[in-house]
Amino acid sequence: MELDLFASLFAHTLGFWWVILPAIVLGLVVGAIPGFSAANTIIILLPLTLAVDVEIGLVFMVALYCSSRMGAGIPAILVNIPGTAGAAATPLDGYPMTKAGRGQQALAMSFVASTAGGLLTTLVALFAMPYLVRVAYHLHSVEMIVVMLFGISLIASIAARDTLKGLIAGMFGLMIGSIGADHVYATPRGTMGFLELYDGVPLIPALVGLFAISEAFLVIEGESILSARGRAMITSGWGPTFEGTRIALSRWWHIVWTSLIGLVIGIVPGAGASIASFVAYQQSRFFSKTPEAYGTGHPEGLIAPESANNGVTAGTLIPLLTLGIPGGATAAIMLVVMQYHGVVLGPRLFAMQPEIGYGVIMAMFVTYLIMILTILPLSRYMSRVTMVSTTYMAPSIIAFTLIGSFVPREYLFDMYLGLAFGVIGYVARKTGYHVAAILIGVILGPLLEQYFLRALRIAEGDFMVIFSSTIGNVLWVLLVISVAGPYLFDHLRRRRDAPAAAE
Amino acid sequence: MADGPSGRKPEPTPVGGDLIIPVAAVVFTLYYFSTIIDSPFEAQAAAFFIGSILIALILVLLIKVGRELLTGRASLGLGELGEPRRVVPKRLALFALAVAYLVVLPWLGFTLTTFLFLGGAMLLLGEGRRPGFVLGLAGALALIGWLAFIVAFETRFPEGPVEWLLSGLV
Repeated sequence: MELDLFASLFAHTLGFWWVILPAIVLGLVVGAIPGFSAANTIIILLPLTLAVDVEIGLVFMVALYCSSRMGAGIPAILVNIPGTAGAAATPLDGYPMTKAGRGQQALAMSFVASTAGGLLTTLVALFAMPYLVRVAYHLHSVEMIVVMLFGISLIASIAARDTLKGLIAGMFGLMIGSIGADHVYATPRGTMGFLELYDGVPLIPALVGLFAISEAFLVIEGESILSARGRAMITSGWGPTFEGTRIALSRWWHIVWTSLIGLVIGIVPGAGASIASFVAYQQSRFFSKTPEAYGTGHPEGLIAPESANNGVTAGTLIPLLTLGIPGGATAAIMLVVMQYHGVVLGPRLFAMQPEIGYGVIMAMFVTYLIMILTILPLSRYMSRVTMVSTTYMAPSIIAFTLIGSFVPREYLFDMYLGLAFGVIGYVARKTGYHVAAILIGVILGPLLEQYFLRALRIAEGDFMVIFSSTIGNVLWVLLVISVAGPYLFDHLRRRRDAPAAAE
Repeated sequence: MADGPSGRKPEPTPVGGDLIIPVAAVVFTLYYFSTIIDSPFEAQAAAFFIGSILIALILVLLIKVGRELLTGRASLGLGELGEPRRVVPKRLALFALAVAYLVVLPWLGFTLTTFLFLGGAMLLLGEGRRPGFVLGLAGALALIGWLAFIVAFETRFPEGPVEWLLSGLV
């Protein structure tokens, strides 16, 4: 019965190719430009999506959402600038590949991992929607604190060459993320007198400054972003695209489980792609036989975050469709459009209007299918960006990313803030403090405080509340294992190797 | 301390640069605490929790660095931060140009300021080579920016003479 429905929905959604194709192009562009998220673009185009039929509007928004997620990974791989915070883990291994002259291969790998992850998670979402939504029911403020701390603990793992520096960078990011008026009394904290910081530190200037501006100041050290070895290694033609596709497909099991991490995290409202991609990256390294290769251009280090952040896209729609709770900003805008058209969200949606309920997820499936066919050939041409001289690239990065800082709030202040973060990012990179650690701290700071205060209020100020839930305690144990595990394995490995070396 | 293979003592590792982020973090955290000292508990709880951990971590780092300094394994040099020397003047000039870009933007408007910044920065980094190409490229990029951000997305960037002229023509 359901299979018949899905088959007819698939054929029906394919008929919207003329909506999906332009949405993919637009999504790839806005995803690649820091400051232009899918949510911003959908807001700008809201009059259009409200004016057309609800199905067309939803297909357009879903296609734009998925493609912008993939688009954000392109500059992350090619020039070390994630288009959105969700792609902040992508350059960890994607950019070293580019520097080594494997940019085209890395792009192909990222496209395959993203689309395969997206296709798989949409399929899972279609069949398991009623069961998956229960995850969201069980995560309250206490559990969310542990989920957030899980994210923060990754900081130490990300900067594994010096865990202490990684932790300092992450905690510094958390302090910066705490800037702004408090949630209860609106007391301004750490704002240095700037009214523009009362709502907290805007994420786009932080992202742009820490990654893009600092990178621009660094790349001027050479003629090109490619290393000398990278320039020698670079090859033209379709070979690297096929090779990247082959490498990604040969790691199909890796794509499966890391995209499922993204799906589950996506269901949790507020968690989002940034946490999912870092969790996937960390778990990928944790279970790897070659953890030391991560950060040097390791294929699995690129596949994990890209599969996960595309898994999130299906996840964020599940609480929206089944409970009416949006899992993220884009889902919230979709909620507005659906309510405008009189769509009643919740379990009844799948019985009363299955073409909408399942149709949204099917639109995502079809988008990923069309996207892999259209975008994979582009990897050959996109990778040419790496050949541009830094004389022209660095000023363009600075100008256009500062412009991107202005776009979300239209404050000149945010451009200055982007530049200030650029200086912090430059010093951090040069002295071994990972910028991704600072950024994830900035992202998680306000969320952590929100859940922390909520839990304390429920427990009337008792700090022990954070150990009061069974699920939470299981998560605490997993967190400790996740942090201590790599050290333990490392220690055991060294003990095992020591006698061999002595012989 | 072990000597190097040649019998000489190895050069101390410069760690002065490594202290910039921690010092900035401590200064900011103390300033942050000063802004919440008289606030209600709800405004303080999370910040004191995070700030205390941060300061504790920095103390551990300082102890580690202090031990290395005392044993002569480290020095207070800036290390990588000021390297490579030949690029430092260019880097500082590029930063100054970026600041100037933001300062002038409200007066000259988006398009003209973007053109001036791009042209100036490209000439600076290219040491004045191919001025015609550089100015053409800067002009084209500034115009693309105008089309994308002001015309298409209707972002409210400060307007100047170029925007007035172009809006008159369009």
